[in-house]
Amino acid sequence: MRFVLKTNYDQDVKVFLHNGQRFWYGLLALAVLLAPLVLDRFYLGEFAYLYIWAIAGVGLMLLVGYTGLVSLGHAAFLAIGAYAHAWLLTQGVPFVLSVPLATAFCAIIGYIVGLPALRMTGIYLAIATLAFERIAAWVIEHWESVTGGHFGMRVPDPMVFGMSLDGPVPFYYLCLGILGLSLFAALNLLRSPTGRAFIAVRDSEVSAQSMGINLARTKCTAFALSAAFTGLAGTLFSHRIGYLAPDAFTVQTSIQLLLMVVVGGLGSLQGVVYGAIFLGLLPQAIAIGRDVLPQWIGEIPGLEPGIFGAILVVFLIFEPLGIHGRWVKVRLWFDQFPLYRRATYKRQRSYLRTERVR
Amino acid sequence: MPVNESRGFGKPRMIPRVFACGTRRAHTTLEILQLLIIGISQGCVYGLIALGFVLIYKATEMVNFAQGDMMMLGAFIAFSLIEAFDWLFAFVPVLAGLPGASFAFAFLGTLFVMAAFGVVLERAVLRPMIGEPPFAVLMLTIGLGFVLRAVAGAIWGNQPRALDSPFAGGTFDLGGLIVGYENVAIVVGTALLCGVLYLFFRFTRIGVAMQAASQNQLAAFYVGIPVKRVFALVWAISAAIAAAAGILVAPVNLIDPLMGFIGIKAFAAAIVGGFGSLPGAIVGGLLIGIAEPFVALHLPPGLSEVSAFVILLAMLVVRPQGIFPSLQQKKV
Amino acid sequence: MSLLEAHDLSVSFGGIKAVRDVSFTVEPGEVFSIIGPNGAGKTTIFNLVSRFYEADSGGMAFDGMDITGAPPHRIAELGIARTFQNTELFEHESVLTNLLIAHHVHRRTNLVTDLLFLPGARRQELDFRRRVEDVIDLLDLQSYREQPIGGLPYGARKMVEIARALCLEPKLLLLDEPSSGLNPEETEDLSFWIEDIVAELGITVAMVEHDMNLVATVSDRVMAMADGAELATGDPTEIQNHPDVLRAYLGD
Repeated sequence: MRFVLKTNYDQDVKVFLHNGQRFWYGLLALAVLLAPLVLDRFYLGEFAYLYIWAIAGVGLMLLVGYTGLVSLGHAAFLAIGAYAHAWLLTQGVPFVLSVPLATAFCAIIGYIVGLPALRMTGIYLAIATLAFERIAAWVIEHWESVTGGHFGMRVPDPMVFGMSLDGPVPFYYLCLGILGLSLFAALNLLRSPTGRAFIAVRDSEVSAQSMGINLARTKCTAFALSAAFTGLAGTLFSHRIGYLAPDAFTVQTSIQLLLMVVVGGLGSLQGVVYGAIFLGLLPQAIAIGRDVLPQWIGEIPGLEPGIFGAILVVFLIFEPLGIHGRWVKVRLWFDQFPLYRRATYKRQRSYLRTERVR
Repeated sequence: MPVNESRGFGKPRMIPRVFACGTRRAHTTLEILQLLIIGISQGCVYGLIALGFVLIYKATEMVNFAQGDMMMLGAFIAFSLIEAFDWLFAFVPVLAGLPGASFAFAFLGTLFVMAAFGVVLERAVLRPMIGEPPFAVLMLTIGLGFVLRAVAGAIWGNQPRALDSPFAGGTFDLGGLIVGYENVAIVVGTALLCGVLYLFFRFTRIGVAMQAASQNQLAAFYVGIPVKRVFALVWAISAAIAAAAGILVAPVNLIDPLMGFIGIKAFAAAIVGGFGSLPGAIVGGLLIGIAEPFVALHLPPGLSEVSAFVILLAMLVVRPQGIFPSLQQKKV
Repeated sequence: MSLLEAHDLSVSFGGIKAVRDVSFTVEPGEVFSIIGPNGAGKTTIFNLVSRFYEADSGGMAFDGMDITGAPPHRIAELGIARTFQNTELFEHESVLTNLLIAHHVHRRTNLVTDLLFLPGARRQELDFRRRVEDVIDLLDLQSYREQPIGGLPYGARKMVEIARALCLEPKLLLLDEPSSGLNPEETEDLSFWIEDIVAELGITVAMVEHDMNLVATVSDRVMAMADGAELATGDPTEIQNHPDVLRAYLGD
């Protein structure tokens, strides 16, 4: 086990604790940067897709994993980001301006959605965000002059300074770059007062208030930030699918986003990436399974969401801390071998406490 | 990863045929009554599902998002049982020609099967989650809903099916006011169920024990109430209620694996009523059920589908504790 | 001028008068204790001062400023820190993070600087950490520094909570039953620490406490309550022998 002897406070603030971490993450960065050299079109596209999910996941993780507010309506922010961006592009706004504008728009909507959240916790908030998602979907379906209604709208190509980013390689780097920035921003947030205020609100609202944290402002900020990241993912998502239609964003999308952060591991940014990888690989695995298994199984309606659901159930019962939590345990087991205590993680429960006290 | 199950929460198929002539003209008292009846019967269905939510929440502090899917499962089981009893009764001379005999048997059979299913579900899936945060349970039941839908799809297929119910099709004509048998059946069925539940909680020993467990699990345990068994019973009852709702709504609404999506509106109803209040669940369900046909007639198309959510959001902003509040602030 | 001044505070919950016309002052630099049987309304008074409860009548002023209608988070900004009867820590985080959260009131950065972690944010972060270490040293919490709260023994949690309150660098510290759940040895340590906090850090302390020994050792003035009303206020020995107080505790 590596023990770091800290000699100054700067070390606590660093992103990477020691050289080992720096080495492995550096290797990972190199691998994803060089990936276009070896991967073909299809896989590059899939990777870019995975990065988009991860960006949205960062947003949802900040909200669910760090602030303890559950949203069943994040598909709405994805949709709003995508539509706002596509609409701005059709109005002739350049790509480099349209992305931040759409993101900012999502942040504003998120802030507004967060306002009633002040008086709600837990399930109330979850259901309120679900209601918001339904209403947003209704608006998108019926605001035909902007969104094209049921017929949808074509998304113009991403052009940066006269150069198209639509090819698989440039789009890959675009998504990777934005994911990198998003993760970095989230990391920064979590080592500074704003992120700690989120955590405080998650663990104890009463205590957070007595520490001088403004609950209303913190919750709304969390919502706005979360919506902004998800909207940012939405802008990229619009280019990925090329043609926006209302049925690309459903409650199921929201639930997949949530599934991603839960399966990845609540309360860790690594969890977001694990969750995105998981979510990206699963449909491929199911497609392969369809070829192998008897035909009638492959033809079951709703098979894919059914498998998603089953995996969610299994994770929540057996590994509530998600893939990241499992990884931490495995690593600890090797570090402490043969002294690992089975009960090491016994006391730890996931987030959000009961709102019902009698 | 969009999964090919993109249908939202149902098209306006909940609005029955009476509406086909949705022209906007000045309406008479009769029309208002007509809408009211449709709204009330739909509201009863929401109310019944909401009742299941609230029961489970009150007793176990878990939120069962799969309540709508349990309703779907109940309807499918009733469908199969009716077929089975039809076949069986063909050999029994007394019952052979009796209208509704297989329906009646299947109704009871479904309640029983679903109650057993509720117990199994509680034991296998939800008991390990006791003490976990509500959010985890919420996610778990969402996942469960997906699984139930896939299972139902695997067994019964994706084709909508009609339940062979004695209430289907017939209508009363009360001086121009047309009331479907199925609407009457829903309202009467809901009233009966509520009555039975009231008596159960008020007067039976186990009912009182359940109330105690819902107030304070630990204290109930200390005074000798078998809390785990009570939980299993709560799940059994709410699964049976869901099944009853499914059978009652089936004649109005065809059965298919996605019919459980109305559970989300029922959830809205439960919160509007004040989550944790049993009468609130019914009142909230009625409110949302009644609002829908009126919104469908007077406001832009499609809005009736989201009216439940608009009402919910308005309620949460104005009076977050619901019509019948039951939550309290945390004490420090 | 008194540091905290409360006059005629009343609050009732569903017909039960939890606090009835209670007035008191806390003077700068003293240790002020509130004692009384269970249900006397002691914690309710703290919750009124923290603004978790809305007073039905009466008013409060802190440091010459009216706080009767202030929002709860404002109280901490003005310089009142508190601990809780059953500890309300941020369970999933380390002791260090818990203490850092308390520095929130001193933050000078905003969302944007935090997102980018600009040099100002880094400097602030280092400054917070230095000050947190001072508190860790003062209360001897070094061994728990990186541990998550979830795994700490109860006594340590109590101390972490006091440390967290100190990290706010308050003028007034409200301690709600600091000795409950501590063993006699730990309680004795606690009394030294309270004296240190007053003497070295110049923080005024108000506490709700059942342990008469502790109260008598550290308090300058004591207010006794019963059934939501004030019985008597005075120095510890005076209160211990006050006939009304004896009656409240022992019955007639």
